[in-house]
Amino acid sequence: MKNKQRLSKLFLAMALSSAASYSLAADPIKIALAGPVTGAVAQYGDMQFIGAEMAIEQINKAGGVNGAQLQGVRYDDACDPKQAVAVANKIVNDGVSFVVGHLCSSSTQPASDIYEDEGILMITAASTSPDITSRGYELIFRTIGLDSLQGPTAGNFIADHVKPKNVAVIHDKQQYGEGIATAVKQTLEGKGVKVSMFEGINAGDKDFSSLIARLKREGVDFIYYGGYHPELGLLLRQSKEKGLNVRFMGPEGVGNSEISAIAGPASEGMYVTLPKSFDQDPKNQQLVEAFKAKKQDPSGPFVFPAYAAVQVIAEGIEKAGSTDTDKVAEALRSNSFDTPTGTLEFDEKGDLKNFNFVVYEWHQDGTKTEAK
Amino acid sequence: MPELYHYLQQLINGLTVGSTYALIAIGYTMVYGIIGMINFAHGEVYMIGSYIAFIALIGLTAMGLDSLPILMIGAFAASMIVTSAYGYSIERVAYRPLRGSNRLIPLISAIGMSIFLQNVVLLTQDSKDKAIPNLFPGNLVFGESTMNGVTVSYMQVLIFIVTFVAMYGLTLFISRSRLGRACRACAEDIKMANLLGINTNGIIALTFVIGAALAAIAAVLISMQYGVINPHIGFLAGIKAFTAAVLGGIGSIPGAMLGGLVLGVAEAFGADIFGDQYKDVVAFSLLVLVLLFRPTGILGRPEVEKV
Repeated sequence: MKNKQRLSKLFLAMALSSAASYSLAADPIKIALAGPVTGAVAQYGDMQFIGAEMAIEQINKAGGVNGAQLQGVRYDDACDPKQAVAVANKIVNDGVSFVVGHLCSSSTQPASDIYEDEGILMITAASTSPDITSRGYELIFRTIGLDSLQGPTAGNFIADHVKPKNVAVIHDKQQYGEGIATAVKQTLEGKGVKVSMFEGINAGDKDFSSLIARLKREGVDFIYYGGYHPELGLLLRQSKEKGLNVRFMGPEGVGNSEISAIAGPASEGMYVTLPKSFDQDPKNQQLVEAFKAKKQDPSGPFVFPAYAAVQVIAEGIEKAGSTDTDKVAEALRSNSFDTPTGTLEFDEKGDLKNFNFVVYEWHQDGTKTEAK
Repeated sequence: MPELYHYLQQLINGLTVGSTYALIAIGYTMVYGIIGMINFAHGEVYMIGSYIAFIALIGLTAMGLDSLPILMIGAFAASMIVTSAYGYSIERVAYRPLRGSNRLIPLISAIGMSIFLQNVVLLTQDSKDKAIPNLFPGNLVFGESTMNGVTVSYMQVLIFIVTFVAMYGLTLFISRSRLGRACRACAEDIKMANLLGINTNGIIALTFVIGAALAAIAAVLISMQYGVINPHIGFLAGIKAFTAAVLGGIGSIPGAMLGGLVLGVAEAFGADIFGDQYKDVVAFSLLVLVLLFRPTGILGRPEVEKV
């Protein structure tokens, strides 16, 4: 008798679990995580991936979305616009309706055209170029601030606190770097600060000796660089070696401990604008512990925005009561979401209504403190 | 005076970059001179050279042998030996079986080899930048100060010296030694050299080894100078060195040396006059101009039809 009961329980459990797995297999909500898995800026991709995957894991643990589990799939665009388009087409073919990504603005821009056309909802946690949301698209959102916000923050800080006499603004000719550099230049000129040099370098270049010789000749006393850390790291290192001792400043694309590995002591004292350090926020400590338990670093600037992006998609689906992307987009615009990056509300364009950048001072051991 | 200092500084910057181009360019030009093939995997050989140097530096430091001479010699020796072995094996695996076939086939094989090597490093070392510390920090300053004068870093001095020694050694080897004579014979007429009892397969392997060893020297120097390596550096370095080789006259060893220096100086002054973003434009325009007016390059000889 007892045996029979146990058997029947076993059968019941089996039936239940197979039913459960059947319903899961039938209806998981796939979220494409698109960004660089390889390439020169892969570490930023990692930040986005670990943030998004943590959110997926925690939401699934808490029962999923409307009973369905989330499933994250990584797609590698290598921060290459051509590959981003290929990835976007693959996402369309794979029948995925939600995308968290891409990372580089120059990849997000062409990919988002495809998503909008194909009715896929995309939230980028890292692309800060204003152009991405300025085209009247319905399905494109972001959980991070804009260059047009970051540029003025940097420009105002330079003009009000550093008060240099002669500034050079350098950029890497890419959409992200040049966009921010232009915004900084405009802010500085608006405040009457002289910008004597504004020019691009080739991304991937190693030798900046002739640029440094010219910076010396121009007698600049402050340099803003729009771009990513591999080039700025070399520029810092070579400037220091050649005796050009001026302060540098960069956007969040340079705020990575790699820059200290490349530039060593030359990275001490650099200014960088970053989103607020969400991992320092006391109410996020539980989440920080969860990352640390998996030996992941929660301090990167895109980890929490990516977490928030997944959470917003999940709550949007719940509020819309369906996975129809138009309805979810509607739900995103009409609700506010309580996420680890704060209470998020989206405007008509799909941007956050309030997002602040903070100026940090970088240290050679890869840490940072808020600049006064 | 400041203007003079400025242009002198740019000249030195250009020569430093140029001498590293020249070192890599020799690998292209020697192989072309003997078997008439462009070894497109050469840039990746250079990239592997920098990784070997990086690993050697880490290894030696981990063993506690961190005095400067040991680190330098260790990095150069390890990188040259291992990279030469790569050069030899690439020739053995990817080119020798295709000897005598249509010219395009080894070319495709070279491109395949290049992709293969890059991905091997990508998979084993991951795609992140690796940082190498500068072992020779410091500058020589000529003129009033670093801001108004010419600064030459110790690393730049080292690059000049090592490049000069390597080039001089190679020239001596080619012009004086028995093997060097065999190399020249092969470059002139490989079939005839074979008939006269020269082991041409051995000589071809030797040119790959020499090219790889010089690329390794360049790799150690450049990675110490700039301090960052990643699996993608081979492509640009390869293209620049190839340009230098064509500029100087492909197939000619002095041509590759001169081509490298001219390219480096053109880049430095191009960046100075037109801005840094036009650096590559200036370099490649120069290439187009030289090829238009002197299709064989600066020191190249027009190819004589072999009978």
